[in-house]
Amino acid sequence: MKGYIHSFESLAALDGEGVRYGVFMQGCPLRCVYCHNPDTWCSGGNSFSSEELVKKVSRYKSYFGKNGGVTFSGGEPLVQAAFIKDTVQHLKVAGINYAIDTSGAAGLSEDAKCVLRDAQLVILDLKFWDDESYKKYTGGSMLAVLNTLDFLESIKKRVWVRTVVVPGINDSEECLEKYLELLKGKKCVEKYELLGFHTMGFFKYENLGIKNPLKDIKPLPAEALTRLQKFVDKRFKRSLG
Amino acid sequence: MKCWRGFKEGNWNNNIDVSDFIKKNYTPYTDGPEFLSGTTERTDRVLARVEELLIEENKKGGVLSVDTDHVSSLLTFRPGYIIKEDDIIVGLQTDEPLKRAVNPFAGYRNAVQACKAYGYEIGENVKDEFKYRTTHNTGVFRVYTDTMKKARHVGVLTGLPDAYARGRIIGDYRRIALYGMNYLIEQRKLDKQRISERDMSAETIQLLEDIERQLEFMAQLIQMAAEYGCDISRPAENAREAVQWLYFGYLGAVKEQNGAANSIGRISAFIDIYIKRDLDEGTLDESGAQELIDDLVLKMRLVRHLRTPEYNDLFAGDPVWVTCSLAGMGEDKRPMVTKTCYRFLQTLYNLGPSAEPNITVLWSEGLPQEFKKFCAKVSIDTDSIQYENDDVMRKDFGDDYAIACCVSAMKTGKQMQFFGARCNLAKVLLMALNGGRDEIYGEQVAPEGKVFDEGAPLDYEEVVGAFKEYASWMAKLYVNTMNVIHYMHDRYAYERLMMALHDVEPERLMAFGISGLSVLADSLSAIKYAKVTPVKDERGMIVDFKTEGDFPKYGNDDDRADEIAKWITEFFYSELCKTKTYRGAKHTLSILTITSNVVYGKKTGSTPDGRHAGEPFAPGANPMHGRDKEGALASLNSVAKICYDCCQDGISNTFSITPETLGTDENDRTEKLVAVLDGYFAQSAHHLNVNVLNRQKLIDAMNDPTLYPSLTIRVSGYAVNFNKLTRDKQLEVISRTFHEKM
Repeated sequence: MKGYIHSFESLAALDGEGVRYGVFMQGCPLRCVYCHNPDTWCSGGNSFSSEELVKKVSRYKSYFGKNGGVTFSGGEPLVQAAFIKDTVQHLKVAGINYAIDTSGAAGLSEDAKCVLRDAQLVILDLKFWDDESYKKYTGGSMLAVLNTLDFLESIKKRVWVRTVVVPGINDSEECLEKYLELLKGKKCVEKYELLGFHTMGFFKYENLGIKNPLKDIKPLPAEALTRLQKFVDKRFKRSLG
Repeated sequence: MKCWRGFKEGNWNNNIDVSDFIKKNYTPYTDGPEFLSGTTERTDRVLARVEELLIEENKKGGVLSVDTDHVSSLLTFRPGYIIKEDDIIVGLQTDEPLKRAVNPFAGYRNAVQACKAYGYEIGENVKDEFKYRTTHNTGVFRVYTDTMKKARHVGVLTGLPDAYARGRIIGDYRRIALYGMNYLIEQRKLDKQRISERDMSAETIQLLEDIERQLEFMAQLIQMAAEYGCDISRPAENAREAVQWLYFGYLGAVKEQNGAANSIGRISAFIDIYIKRDLDEGTLDESGAQELIDDLVLKMRLVRHLRTPEYNDLFAGDPVWVTCSLAGMGEDKRPMVTKTCYRFLQTLYNLGPSAEPNITVLWSEGLPQEFKKFCAKVSIDTDSIQYENDDVMRKDFGDDYAIACCVSAMKTGKQMQFFGARCNLAKVLLMALNGGRDEIYGEQVAPEGKVFDEGAPLDYEEVVGAFKEYASWMAKLYVNTMNVIHYMHDRYAYERLMMALHDVEPERLMAFGISGLSVLADSLSAIKYAKVTPVKDERGMIVDFKTEGDFPKYGNDDDRADEIAKWITEFFYSELCKTKTYRGAKHTLSILTITSNVVYGKKTGSTPDGRHAGEPFAPGANPMHGRDKEGALASLNSVAKICYDCCQDGISNTFSITPETLGTDENDRTEKLVAVLDGYFAQSAHHLNVNVLNRQKLIDAMNDPTLYPSLTIRVSGYAVNFNKLTRDKQLEVISRTFHEKM
């Protein structure tokens, strides 16, 4: 089976536990205003067979230890759920774990469910807090995301939730409260991480000739991120209970 | 004997066998760093004085003072101290800390120029003495052929130790502490008797003269120690004496020799045995034990040699390579990690980060997890240590080898090395395309051959054929040049003391080197997979290339390019082995450039990989900056493919990553760095320098050196104080690939 892959990052240490090998899948149903990888949006591009991908990934097995493994990210990996399902069957034989880094907005096909069920960890990108904001800033549907979260809760999957904090859009405590509300009672969520908006992907918009809606926005200052993370950490513990 | 009280007996009681002594008596330590001590008030006082001196040295342009009236040797200077009443481990190269001595034995002109560079002139008595003395340098140039001189001049062979001392020899300084000098002298006299029975061939005569020279300096070492009030004719009786006796041996060696690298060897388990005995006897506590190691390390940090600016271009940052090898596994499968390994690492906290000693952790899958984590933490905090794969080296060198310089393994006291700098193989490719002429000077250096055509794309098979022919010619010239150099070095600048602390007939290694590996591999890959057309200048020389289309690049775990790099090293090594070496040395090869990758780049024209004339090479076996597109581990995997069996003198790889990319917090980063090291070395890779820092920090330090006065970074098999680098080297370091997240 063939899958379309945008790129690889052999040390994606932050996308899950242990040493991670990042596979960035091509294609995404969302058009987030702050996206730093607009070059992963459209489908097509470099194709790999499951075997080729497994062969490539296996070269990194010696680094993985007990915790490490592959992280499928993107793009939106679950758009190619069938390909990933095929690949992870081979990975399992090779004794390699995997994690999925998803927006949860691609819908829950049977293949997607299967892939999520067998993952060691799911990183769920909780982009916005309600239908209106979700539609406005990503073009996608919040309902699909919430369904995915419910599904993960129902199968007791280990989940890390992440939110990108963009100055002027969601960088207030009031706003983050709304996100926390969505996580209330979700026992599957182990960790809630905030990521600061940065401008390192801006050049890609220029290269691709796509309009960058946030071109005047400055990166989130590190101090602001630390402050907001502390706020979230305090609240998050409470909402879990 | 009082000095050996409580030690388990073994073969070491009958013969000089330090390794046996260690194995019978050391105690592996598998727990964490909790037991370690900070500095004592005494250490703080000495450290404060050292820091003052270093600032002063820096203000004076890197050299505090020079004594131009005495030639450096064991007895030419009165005893020197940092603070006389506070020094626990005593001994300096001259009578004052950081004062440099003149050492013209390897090359008189070099010594004169080095003095001149810092505003000094060589004293009259030294001038007179060397009027009638042949130096190593003079000897070499008496014999060098025109071709050797040409190869040296155009820079295809560069950095050869023909005007400076070769270094990379490690005396087994532990022997002094364990046996005392009298016993070592007696044994050497017996060796001499035994060898005198042989027929007097040139080899025997040379060896007998060597021994006599060794005996002379062994006696001088006893006298040198006596001037500091110590009697090293007998063995050491406690830990302080063991450290002191061992250090005297090293000190004598660096007074006699100013070789490029003077490494201390593998001393931690040895010292640990003495410390543990004192701790058990209640005559020492942990704070006192740490103080001993702190004081020894402070002394190592003060070793200096007087160098010329040209030398500093090759080996930037005033390095001495007091390489100190820690850990590794015993052949009996016990880790050779002791509390004293921790104590050496602790000096980087107690005394601050530093380039010297060049702390080298011999990494093995079997090392205790707690120790691995502590090493990783120290790396992240200080950027001051390097790692080498004990699991690959132990197979060839046993479990009592040490690292000399950056990556050169040798059995302590049983092997020595003839250091041979390196050959610029990227330039050999250009020479092959230009029919043996040098692309910059236009001189005919190698035999005349076919000049490749302009305007037509290069054919891979044809280029490889020409390259092989010229590389083969080069290998022969290289071995012969080295033979001349080391013959003369033995004759005129023989390491009397260091060789006295070896077995009488040690095995010899002749260490060749390659520079420009990644440039050459990518260039051949470009010719094979893209379309490369030569461009000629008015002289008819190929000076540039038009490269169309993409091609696989070394550093992305892509076999198409990596196999070329692997082939180059294997091919060149097999070619070197075809020419006989001086004194029957075994051929070895390294891929290590130190900081000379900048100089080699300057002396090399444009290459088919798209590198412009004059641009720096990547250091050592590193992929070229910015060409590794799949991240840190892909780059490590590529380097891991280079086979250690044909590069037993080391494969250097320098790895820089930002803390944010490595992990979220200290604990996470530590664990991930351990996983990276385990994963890399599990593939039989050889060496890794680790830097965990941000590019911005280096840029800030370059613009304002006072911001980070002790900023230490690993460059290529060693560490430097970043502020001691010239601006073009700082820029080159900054331009290297930093693995960072997007």
